[in-house]
Amino acid sequence: MLELRNVSYSYAGVAAVRDVSLAIGEGQLVALAGPNGSGKSTLLKLIARVSAPRHGEVTFEDKPVGAWHAKEYARRVGYLPQDPDPAFPMRAIEVVVSGRAPYLGRFAWESDRDWEEASRALALCDATHLADRYLDEMSGGERKRVFLARVLAGTPRLILLDEPFAALDISHVQQFSALLRGVVDRTGCTVLFAAHDLNWAAAHSDRMLVMQSGALALDATPREVMRAEVMKAMFGFEAETVAIGGKTWVVPRT
Amino acid sequence: MTRALLILTTLLLIVLALAVTFGAVPLHWNDETARMILLRLRLPRVLLAAAIGASLAVAGVTFQTLLRNPLADPFILGVSGGAACGAAVATALRFNRIPGLVPIVAFAGALLATAAVFLLARRRDHTDPVRLLISGLVLNAFFSAVILISFALSPQNDLTAALKWMMGTLFGATWTSVLLVSVLLVIAMIVLAFVANDLRLLVFGEEDAKARGVDVERVKLIGFGAASIITGAAVAVSGIIGFVGLLVPHLIRLVWRRDFRMLLPLCALGGATLVVAADLVSRVVVRSTELPIGAFTAILGVPFFLSLLRRT
Repeated sequence: MLELRNVSYSYAGVAAVRDVSLAIGEGQLVALAGPNGSGKSTLLKLIARVSAPRHGEVTFEDKPVGAWHAKEYARRVGYLPQDPDPAFPMRAIEVVVSGRAPYLGRFAWESDRDWEEASRALALCDATHLADRYLDEMSGGERKRVFLARVLAGTPRLILLDEPFAALDISHVQQFSALLRGVVDRTGCTVLFAAHDLNWAAAHSDRMLVMQSGALALDATPREVMRAEVMKAMFGFEAETVAIGGKTWVVPRT
Repeated sequence: MTRALLILTTLLLIVLALAVTFGAVPLHWNDETARMILLRLRLPRVLLAAAIGASLAVAGVTFQTLLRNPLADPFILGVSGGAACGAAVATALRFNRIPGLVPIVAFAGALLATAAVFLLARRRDHTDPVRLLISGLVLNAFFSAVILISFALSPQNDLTAALKWMMGTLFGATWTSVLLVSVLLVIAMIVLAFVANDLRLLVFGEEDAKARGVDVERVKLIGFGAASIITGAAVAVSGIIGFVGLLVPHLIRLVWRRDFRMLLPLCALGGATLVVAADLVSRVVVRSTELPIGAFTAILGVPFFLSLLRRT
């Protein structure tokens, strides 16, 4: 469904993404891991059609991303930036229904169907009770859920999330990741999320893409990534691994 | 939401009726002179006040939405300053001997200022809102300097008119100016309505809007262009009437928290109401002279604004 061929991008002459090639199919839950500044956010923006690659090509459903009509693409690919913030006070339900924008005609207002999709998405994110609350009165975790609902309201086939677990406490991470898993299982869409925390990235994905200084250093299952040698080579620290209930966790050796 | 439109339309109609009825000369339908005053002076003035108020408020809400900044307005961005600068230079150069030339130069000043602010704020293929605001602030300082120098060089008897203009005045409103400002306002509002669905998504940030299929740079260009043209026209005919662009969108947002699509017509109605009311007060408060209308937009608007702010 998504394919990147030799994709590169640079900000003011500094390479942020270098020669990345990869392919992602339907129904996958993929983590994009790597240290801070390794190019995860930039890669997501290239896929989200926010920026265009300097070299190489991103294709979605066998069509180059640049050749897609912007609104058509936005209906299929939902993107949640790291810390979205409307400049003016808004209610949660208004934020969520704005996720329907790619479906609206030029002068159209949201139809009943759009409001229904928005309520359904809020319910899916366990946030129905937040519908009429203002965003600036919410906790970080509540906001995250509202913004995920906004992405889901657009019923995308590919969901791109930039650091969805940042600012969430441990119980909300569990809740949120279960929610992502549920969305993938139920709708068959693909989720690609960036996470700098390796343990969360590994615990909540089927496949891990590990970035290092802009390049794709590793494309493997969480089990293969979560090893002491990999930690040493990629993140530069000595680690112990602990296997609990079929999942492997890394702990820095002190 | 139709309720909001209804309330503001009613309010505007009431204020319009009051503004036409009251003035320095009492109205008598049977009196020839009074009728002339009504048709030639008062009616164009009241309608110009409405068109200018609507223009400034629409420009204000557009700038605020585009820049995601509640402080943005035509004055802070230097658009009004550019117009004032053009008018002051034109006066110093004795352009006022030719009727209609000073407003044209003022209009050109507004557009040049917008272009300058935009070019200064542009880096590579992207316009940075913070740089845009800073560029506006810096250009305003420059415009103030040019205005002061122009005033020092202007002939003594042109200064009163120039000063009046700086304080904002609707004195000397003509049907031509009413037509000019109204036509531009209507065109700008139609153009803005075309991109309203995209514009409202900009409040989440430009990258977010891009990911929702918005052609951000195009929408910004259209928005700034339309808002600058109506600001330029308003300032060119009436001088500097402050606070409307900043105050009205905030007032509307405090009462009806809605996105740009709804704010556009509501701000037009609210701005028109405020300036017509301010003009009425400025005409009738002191019998012998007219007080600066810009002062009354603030005097009427600020207490109302503060009381709303305290309640919410």
